[in-house]
Amino acid sequence: MNSSVLIIGAGVAGMTAAVELADSGIKTILIDREYTIGGNAIDLYKAFPTDDCFYCFEGNRWRSGIRKCFYRSAMTDQPNIDLKIGANVVEIGGKPGSFEVTLNIKPKFVDPNKCTMCGLCTEHSSAFRLLSPQCQPQAVIFDSSLTDEGAKKAEEECPTKAINLSAESTIEKVSVSDIVIATGFHEMKPVNVDEYGYGTHPNIITQLELAQLIDPIGKTGGVLKRPSDGKEVKNVLMVQCVGSRDENYYPFCSKICCVFALKHANILALEHDGISVGVVYMDMRTYDRHEHYYRKAREAGVDFIRGRITNVKPNEGGTLDIVVYDSLLDKYLKHSVDLFVLSSALEPSKDSDSLISSLGLNNASGYVAPKEGRNVGEVVVSEHVYACGAALGPAEVPESVTQARAVASKILQSRK
Amino acid sequence: MSRVPTYNLYMGCSVPANYPNYETSMLKVAEALGMELEYMEGVACCGSPNLRAIDYFGWLVVNARTLAIAEQNGHDIVTPCNGCFGSLKDVHHFLKHNIEHREKVNKELKKMNLEFKGTITPRHFIEALYTDIGIEEIKKKVTNPLDGVGIAIHYGCHLLRPADVTEMKPDVFDHLVEATGAKVIEYPLWKQCCGATVLPVNEPLAIRLARDKIKSMKESGAEYTTVCCPACGNQLDLQQLGLKESYGEVYNLPVLLYPQILALAMGMSEEDVGLEMNRVSADSILEHLSG
Amino acid sequence: MAETEQPAGPPETLVDPIDMSSLDRNFRDEIKSMPNGDELSACFACTTCTAACPIANQWNYKPHQLIRMIILGMRDEVLSSKEIWECLTCFQCQERCPQKVRVTDIFFDTKNLAAEEGKIPENIIGLGRALLEDGQLYTVTADWEREDMDLEPEVPGLSTDAIKEILKDTRTGRIAGGDE
Repeated sequence: MNSSVLIIGAGVAGMTAAVELADSGIKTILIDREYTIGGNAIDLYKAFPTDDCFYCFEGNRWRSGIRKCFYRSAMTDQPNIDLKIGANVVEIGGKPGSFEVTLNIKPKFVDPNKCTMCGLCTEHSSAFRLLSPQCQPQAVIFDSSLTDEGAKKAEEECPTKAINLSAESTIEKVSVSDIVIATGFHEMKPVNVDEYGYGTHPNIITQLELAQLIDPIGKTGGVLKRPSDGKEVKNVLMVQCVGSRDENYYPFCSKICCVFALKHANILALEHDGISVGVVYMDMRTYDRHEHYYRKAREAGVDFIRGRITNVKPNEGGTLDIVVYDSLLDKYLKHSVDLFVLSSALEPSKDSDSLISSLGLNNASGYVAPKEGRNVGEVVVSEHVYACGAALGPAEVPESVTQARAVASKILQSRK
Repeated sequence: MSRVPTYNLYMGCSVPANYPNYETSMLKVAEALGMELEYMEGVACCGSPNLRAIDYFGWLVVNARTLAIAEQNGHDIVTPCNGCFGSLKDVHHFLKHNIEHREKVNKELKKMNLEFKGTITPRHFIEALYTDIGIEEIKKKVTNPLDGVGIAIHYGCHLLRPADVTEMKPDVFDHLVEATGAKVIEYPLWKQCCGATVLPVNEPLAIRLARDKIKSMKESGAEYTTVCCPACGNQLDLQQLGLKESYGEVYNLPVLLYPQILALAMGMSEEDVGLEMNRVSADSILEHLSG
Repeated sequence: MAETEQPAGPPETLVDPIDMSSLDRNFRDEIKSMPNGDELSACFACTTCTAACPIANQWNYKPHQLIRMIILGMRDEVLSSKEIWECLTCFQCQERCPQKVRVTDIFFDTKNLAAEEGKIPENIIGLGRALLEDGQLYTVTADWEREDMDLEPEVPGLSTDAIKEILKDTRTGRIAGGDE
């Protein structure tokens, strides 16, 4: 049998599954609804547990052309991978083993095969953006909602004629034998948790938004500046469990946010001059070997406050006065900070519930859940349907990679 | 085609005794907007949260009886007091969801030839204004709008919480105030309690809470404050007079019951709304009315 | 337990722990069986209730500590506390609790239990008495003021008989009725 495998989602898990299957000779169709792949990982500066993005690199040094990111080289070098960007699933028909999937492909305003990332178009219009020099596909992306006169000029002047502003979306049908769900997670924007004031002040942000601010290839070159006025940040307060472990939002624990909050706290305390960090928590869940982040944070002088936020008041001049109840001291404390970072719940990706219901899968708080009688984390979720990575629930990078490899293994076994 | 909405009017005991100006403003506003408020027969006090504290079952029966009486003519109850609203809503919600207690309560009510079925809803007067009349209709009747004067809203705890019981959002009150032409002033302590419930137990604490609210409102630029409850009104209005003695502070922040503001904006007179009864003098509001 | 005629001196060690076997482990179930007490055990002491409470800074026992005391079984301390009676009943704690523990409702239940044992502030008994005798907490006295406002001097439909009858036979009657 040489039918293709459809992998929905080109983040860590999806790309790993695609590469592992493709390397074994199986044709894969890898789709992602964004124009740039990588999922949540592209926003991170450092990922735990290795504090870089080398986790997948070490085991792949043998790849030709690899300099750093194995995904980048694999996506272009591996002919068995058919990468479709801007694609999402409209309908799934057929039956397990011979699915007929209808995809909606967003307009190809910029042809990745022609774009040389010269950047000329970005100078004409802010509707064109280069997400990062490491993005995959290696091309500029166009946001049609920001289109202006400059965009037309950019189209005319593009040296490789890569731009087509009148491109339209297309429908494509693919026949595949297996479907892999790798839709990942989405960091909840906690606008409804009103005691934190998210959305009411530019200096109240989420952890992933902080990651983008401290990214060395981000807008400020990794220098942490206050979103409200660009002034330097001296004091930061983080709060854990915003919308997680909360019967009013998501009852589950989002698992990795204690670890990545401390990863960020350590970056701020150790790599940035004189930033003072406090972390407000209910429980510190740096499980397994990640306990070292917690110890390192204490050594770095990060304040740990076991308690909850009483109120947040903005001051003239951009700082925030945050009153927190410290249950260890049994006292109320006031912190004046430049930045208030919320470790918001990691919720399932948008539209993952429609995928789950159209495939008749089980649903645990919106994430893909195993069928009755199966273990938690089981990657085979139905006949010829698999799931890996954060589509199964918040996961760390090594876990996502391991699960993706398990999917590849299961698919290969099924074809023996 | 207009349908005149009819309601069972539950006054509670505080408004009639302490705030007849609230009562009369409410009746006049209701009449002008085409709402029929019929005083309920055979009812008295809801007991307030303090009855709930000492005698849960007694409080259940007293309030279930009020609800059962209203069920007889099938009209929703409307009340001008947050305490009564909170009590009736809570009892209604609890008995609808708790069969065991409902049966116990109905056993008592049977002796009075009554039965609680949960078929009518207890509502606050301001919510009935918002939902059944609507902001657009209200604005049409506002002939003398205010000039954008800043009013801080004290919602009151039992109006908004617990949200699963009260089903009320603060926007309702915001839109009603804006409909009169006033500007809603936001202030940091908007959610905080006025302290009414704790007044019998710890008077200095209650006075301190009242003071903190008024101070917060004043510092945020409010020229007036408005409430929809006699207990909250008492805390912010009457207690304000004593702040000079307790704290050496004078705020002069007049407290208006919401229907007073609406009535004035609808062209009624200061006599109509009993403005002289407001303890901190509120006469200056008249200067902010246009027309 | 040592039986001795000697006068009680200091305890064995400075640690002087609370003896868990002396606590009332049924107290938790008692509260759970009362109205709105079912989620009591869900509490994981995040202290959001205390963070949300406007007045807890004045209390010896904070809201999360009172809940913990209920769970552990410190019945006497909770029912004798002044804190439960100072609760504003503003519901901020209950509204924000991530485990949907109905904190304010549970404090109402503790007040009921305390009242049953006569542990109740004087003024609150006074309110109970007012309801038994007048059927209202406030009675219209200045009826001329009502007339000035185009209202009936007596509230139409007002009848205090039923509430007095009802409360006579419930706890209010027991604790506030008769001579006090």
